[in-house]
Amino acid sequence: MNPKYSPLMLSSFPRAIAHVDGDAFFTSVEQAIHPSLKGHPVVTGKERGIIACASYEAKAMGIKRGVSLWDAKKIYPRLVVLPSDYETYSIFSKRMFEIMRRYTPEVEEYSIDEGFADLTGMRQVFRKSYSDIAADMQTVIQHELNITVSIGLSLTKSLSKIGSDFRKPNGLTPVAGKHIHLFLQRVPLADVWGLGLNRVKFLQKYGLKTAWDYINCDARWIRKMLHKPGFEIWQELRGTAVMPLSTDAWRPVASVSKSKTFAAPSRDRDFIYAKLIRNFESAFIKLRRHRMRVSELSVSLRRKDYGEAGLRTRLDHAVTTVQEVTPIVRELFNCLYFSDADYRATGVVLGRLEDDRCRQFDLFEDTARIAQARRVGELIENVNGRYGKHRIFLATGLYMNGRKQHDRDQPCWRKTTLLKDETVRKRIKIPLLDILI
Amino acid sequence: MPRRINLAEKLTQLRSFYHQEGRPPSYAEMAALFGYASKAAVYGPVEKLIDLGYLQRSGNGQIVFTSKITSQISVLGTIQAGFPSPAEEEMLDTMSLDEFLVARPEATYLLTVSGDSMIDAGIHPGDLVLVEKGGTPKQEDIIIAQVDGEWTMKYFGKDKTGVYLDPANPAYSRIRPRSSLSVGGIVRAVIRKYK
Repeated sequence: MNPKYSPLMLSSFPRAIAHVDGDAFFTSVEQAIHPSLKGHPVVTGKERGIIACASYEAKAMGIKRGVSLWDAKKIYPRLVVLPSDYETYSIFSKRMFEIMRRYTPEVEEYSIDEGFADLTGMRQVFRKSYSDIAADMQTVIQHELNITVSIGLSLTKSLSKIGSDFRKPNGLTPVAGKHIHLFLQRVPLADVWGLGLNRVKFLQKYGLKTAWDYINCDARWIRKMLHKPGFEIWQELRGTAVMPLSTDAWRPVASVSKSKTFAAPSRDRDFIYAKLIRNFESAFIKLRRHRMRVSELSVSLRRKDYGEAGLRTRLDHAVTTVQEVTPIVRELFNCLYFSDADYRATGVVLGRLEDDRCRQFDLFEDTARIAQARRVGELIENVNGRYGKHRIFLATGLYMNGRKQHDRDQPCWRKTTLLKDETVRKRIKIPLLDILI
Repeated sequence: MPRRINLAEKLTQLRSFYHQEGRPPSYAEMAALFGYASKAAVYGPVEKLIDLGYLQRSGNGQIVFTSKITSQISVLGTIQAGFPSPAEEEMLDTMSLDEFLVARPEATYLLTVSGDSMIDAGIHPGDLVLVEKGGTPKQEDIIIAQVDGEWTMKYFGKDKTGVYLDPANPAYSRIRPRSSLSVGGIVRAVIRKYK
């Protein structure tokens, strides 16, 4: 028998993992809260000057991620360009995962717009096939959130992830064990989750074209050439689940980064430094929200010609406040800054984060000074928590004053449509619909 | 300063132990559970919980759970060791305004009212309504709907002729959708905040 027609297994769903993927998630959410935008080409990302997400109507015109806003406007002058409203997107995201949890407690929140749900064993509870459970999930999400999702359903995370991409939007692609071989023959290597451009190019040199070619390689060869990650993909594609779902809703944060582009490029030393410190202040606010401390800092400056220079440094002890790092930041900045260049952006990354709920002091640390810095930090945190971000800031920030905010900084609709007693900093955690009744 | 014991936390730990093991823990296990270095330290909170009726000492000195731990879920606040506050416990069966107004949090949305067509139903321009998506409207439900392309809020009704929408304002009349009706949601609550 031709191997092309011989199945890898005879069973259908010894395991059932669904991958739920929001279709053009950000713009779908915008269309859900502004029903007047339904059916129109919409993109988000105005505040960054790029297309973060394009609606299916826009995609049909060739307007998608990577196309510049200027080109997009040339393609379709009446294109609706919206600033991102991550708060509302996050509320919808949480709601989507909650709906998935009605069908199984084992849900992995993979990213803001996609997640895995392990449905194995739930057939007897719902008295339905796995495909029907997935279809229910899809319908309920559409009814309650007014957005569509595409679902892949198969034996492993890798297979279901390919499945959800197979038919979009609003698609449902079940891949039973006995059909894996037929399915993978239609999947190009580049569509396999985890195979990046380099690995695909490498495999193509050996004449591999589809995912099916990949699983027909010798396991030892895959191990030798692509090591453990490649072998895991090989196993997953053959229907053996080796990647577990990580079901904790909160995943530890590995790093915090903040980067802001100036309204106009500048070579003013004080201004650029002030912007850099402001990024650090914002990053530390986020760090404190996660109750972490940091022991590695990165600083980068981007020049007008998009050339970039950065430095990274380890701290001798983990810190929690921005005041503790300013001397080091000043030094790093002095190494990076040249007075004859124009700069357009500064960026910072806080790395090597650790939990701040317990702490072991070093013998040689100046504990009194650290405790004092922490007290000041907590005080500033409290005041800013009450009166708004950056109310109290390091004096270097004064050098930013007097400069007009860029028009790209315009806030999203929700932040300008405040309900009674809401503030720009705090709004009700229920999406507001933009409907005139 | 007296030692502060977070009894609520201890109770949560004891409950989860009970759910996992189906039996009360020994003193050694409680020490591990509470993060104490010695068994003696467990004595304090245990005495407190016996006083409050969460635990009992059996004939042979072993700790037994009462139904307060094994059945319902309740949360106790932090109390100063010495005087347990009954107030927190008395408030266990209360709900927040959120729970009161929002039955299905995943499907609920806010909407500001601008028109006056439901004024006799007590819904004024400027009011906020809580709208629930995904349900099927019943007779007399107030719904948000798109009728022939226009959004409106009305009483929902059905008769032999079909679906109709009634205003709560004599200045408007009954609507029967000509070509299309799509239900945007059912109004579950109205919020009006005064100064």
